Amino acid sequence: MISRLFGSYLVKEGKLTEAQLETVYETMRKVRVKLGLIAVSEKLMTTEQSDEINRLQAIMDKRFGDLAVEKGYLTADQVTRLLGLQGNQYLSFVQAIVDNDFLSMDEINKSLADYQNDNGFTATDMEDLKSGESDRIVPLFLPQNIVEYQLEHILMSIRGFIRLIDSDIYVEKGYISDYEEVQSFAMQSLDGDNKATMAIAGEGKNILAVADAFAGETFEIADEDALDAVAEFINCVNGMFATKINNAFDIDLVPPEYSPDGCKFTGKLIVLPVHVKGSVIKLISSFGEFINK
Amino acid sequence: MARILIVDDSRTSRKILRGLLEESGHEVIAEAENGEEGVKKYIECKPDVTTLDITMPVMDGLEALTKIREYDGNAKVIMVTAAGQQNKMVEAIKNGASEFVTKPFEKDNILKIIEKM
Repeated sequence: MISRLFGSYLVKEGKLTEAQLETVYETMRKVRVKLGLIAVSEKLMTTEQSDEINRLQAIMDKRFGDLAVEKGYLTADQVTRLLGLQGNQYLSFVQAIVDNDFLSMDEINKSLADYQNDNGFTATDMEDLKSGESDRIVPLFLPQNIVEYQLEHILMSIRGFIRLIDSDIYVEKGYISDYEEVQSFAMQSLDGDNKATMAIAGEGKNILAVADAFAGETFEIADEDALDAVAEFINCVNGMFATKINNAFDIDLVPPEYSPDGCKFTGKLIVLPVHVKGSVIKLISSFGEFINK
Repeated sequence: MARILIVDDSRTSRKILRGLLEESGHEVIAEAENGEEGVKKYIECKPDVTTLDITMPVMDGLEALTKIREYDGNAKVIMVTAAGQQNKMVEAIKNGASEFVTKPFEKDNILKIIEKM
């Protein structure tokens, strides 16, 4: 996520062109090796075991390394070593810029300091950003004082995006609102001890980035079929969230809703803009009460 | 090869499930968008196996399961659910559900379950 965040900043500041940034990402893609492949090449796992973990990842909210440890295929120490071999995303990004002779290391460091100042990030925040872990990065873009379960709901949604929709998503600064006008949307509420709603909304065809990736087909317009696919993605995320909090709360999933026609959401909304496959959608959540429309 | 009825309010889920099943040689003989329609289709088609989504409008999967089992005590029904609906799963077991699968679908798991039935 840091390569996308800092990359878009460098373009905005005129330090890199769009084409140069795309070259950098292409360079990173060529050298970025999946953890499973490294584990197999290191002869720590078989290809079958790696494929099994990949399949499990599609249905469980867990990282490759954690699942491999649970299955007894890897030890925690082995996972740490493999992650080291895989490399840090920020360093890979910097390396790709320098190797392509687009910017010097000094220029990158200067821009990174500007990025930190412009966004008001602390030194600790910058460490979180450079970690490449969505669970450490996304909270930096969320409003303060979010209740624990709402934060977990949002982070789980982001992990769902990364696993099922687009591994290169990134977020913009989120905000709290009691009113949000949306165009196409899909949403699902959780009813019971603690009400919650998760919605995805987008303008024009933006929401198709989610629909296409989840359904594995190409929709031409944001019609009910496309939004049904978005609703199913939300359903999967909410299911995993419900599993996680069912020990604390008794909750039920309500049938998803969607509409291609615009409407107004009201409630205690947390709105997080998310860049997905070149489009911006909004992840809108409420906790403690449903989103009204 | 089994003759299968898919009951799910999501077109996306029906399409993904149909694709997985047909790819593996099973025949999807009918689809329904809610529990009420599912019960009617069951009586019409007498499928070997029925997949029933739990969360659906009009009539949910649990009520449809009860009605199908009232009509046919030997009905083989797989409940389909997003994770996180443990209470409803327990209720479905009491009402005679044979198996469960969770969304998003894992092909090998679904095929194993159908083979077992």
